[in-house]
Amino acid sequence: MSGVKQFRAAVIIGYMLSITWLRRNLLSLVWLFATPFSLLFIITVTTGGRSFAVGVVGSLLLVLSTVGTGLAGDATWYRLETKLQDFFVASPVNQIGYLLGIAFAGLFFASPALVVLLPLLVYIGLPMITLPIVLLSLAGVWLFSSAIGYLVSTFTSNLRNGWQSGLLLSVLVGILPPVFYPAEILPQNILMITYAIPTTNAALLIRAAMGTAPTLPHWSPLTGWLLIAVSLAMALAVTSRVARWRQP
Amino acid sequence: MSAIEAVSLSKIYHRSRTQALSDITLTIRRGEIFTLLGRNGAGKTTFLRIAATQLMPTEGKISVLGHDARTEPLLIRQRIAVVPQEGSTIGPLTPWDHIYLSLLARGMARESARERAEKTIKQLELTEYRNQPADSLSGGLKQRVRVAMAVATDADLIFLDEPTLGLDAVSRRRIWGVLNQIQKEGRSILLTTHYIDEAEILSNNVAIIDHGKLVLSGSPAELLRNVKERVRVDVVGSSFSEEELSRYGRVVKLAERFRVLTDDARGKELADEAVKRGSDVALARVSLEDLFVDLVGRDEE
Repeated sequence: MSGVKQFRAAVIIGYMLSITWLRRNLLSLVWLFATPFSLLFIITVTTGGRSFAVGVVGSLLLVLSTVGTGLAGDATWYRLETKLQDFFVASPVNQIGYLLGIAFAGLFFASPALVVLLPLLVYIGLPMITLPIVLLSLAGVWLFSSAIGYLVSTFTSNLRNGWQSGLLLSVLVGILPPVFYPAEILPQNILMITYAIPTTNAALLIRAAMGTAPTLPHWSPLTGWLLIAVSLAMALAVTSRVARWRQP
Repeated sequence: MSAIEAVSLSKIYHRSRTQALSDITLTIRRGEIFTLLGRNGAGKTTFLRIAATQLMPTEGKISVLGHDARTEPLLIRQRIAVVPQEGSTIGPLTPWDHIYLSLLARGMARESARERAEKTIKQLELTEYRNQPADSLSGGLKQRVRVAMAVATDADLIFLDEPTLGLDAVSRRRIWGVLNQIQKEGRSILLTTHYIDEAEILSNNVAIIDHGKLVLSGSPAELLRNVKERVRVDVVGSSFSEEELSRYGRVVKLAERFRVLTDDARGKELADEAVKRGSDVALARVSLEDLFVDLVGRDEE
């Protein structure tokens, strides 16, 4: 199948695994709202509202990284329980089409949260003109997280480990890096490590777009974009080479 | 031209250090229904997964629809479809969602996908359940939905790994009918099953695999020529001792009954004697099951 057909297949797989599901199972939305909005609530209340903007940025990034890293569990379920991966391996759909499809499913699941958080971000000070750039950085985070989530799933031999890996990755990508708190409070050596994670750069880029970016050592918006692009390219390259589509 | 041609095919699972297949040479012709028979863990699924390009072989060659499965999987995948073993349907998706959307994802145009999905739903008697969430369906209906996802495609070669597992007799026969229809369209089917009657009724050719090795292959009729005896006589009750029965032929104990494998004349003689003594008796031709148990069940005995 051509690239266009693979993209069409990805959208259909995404629709199949999310919209059709959500239409009959609205409860699935609750878990995705629960963690980011709880953190936003805690951060807002404990800082007397001063860190509300940081909380919104963090929630947005956590939602997108969680639906990506969550593939460690979801894709394990598709492979081991439903055997959907086997079904698509023996079909014209290729690995990238399938990965993009299950990643779209995560994105569609996240769409209600995005519908709340993105307008909120604009309301609290993000200039509309910067929205496309912000969306691009968010797409980078989503794709990076999906690639590593899927990669991990292909090496996972049972479902419980799949869900656990997803939670661990979610903490590493969406909670520990400076997305819910200011990067400038981190010691420099730890800050340098967090630069390797796209969520850090996306958070800083969004803050830059809102005119609230701090001055940090060795970081500028250009560096941030480069770091997102490099980490995404590496995640996709490693996934397409190492992930087990056809079992060895 | 062959649908699948395997030469000295072997597979070792390095992690568990298991030799799953050993030196299998097998040809499956185009347009035929070919069944792999074997006990649990015999290597049937491993062979099917290698041919369906889901698993790499360790050694040997295998070509599928004229392409090397090792080096040309993309060319093969355009023309195959598979029902994996022991999968499940997806939560709240309906049978229609499963079939129609999977056809669209494979690249089929909307109109064709709609037509084929409708046709398959009718063929597999899923019309009544068409718009019901799959998680409210019985296990047998879910399995029919999974089979439908593969048979609705226009694939030249369909792999079915135990497609009738857990189905009632009526549903099994319904699936057999659909598989026969697919064969009439000139398409090929590779099937694995534990149901020997299914293999005997459906297949043009059968291969028996045991401990990863090919034990025997051929048409059901050809395979039966490997059994010395012609008939089997099942005797229920205690009117005969095992020693007495062994004078008529080879005796196999089956729960509360004895099965005697023998020739036509002695079989008839034993059946007459059993009737005289008032025992329940059944006389039949030896089946593939007798051969299968004979070939791969000796360890158990």
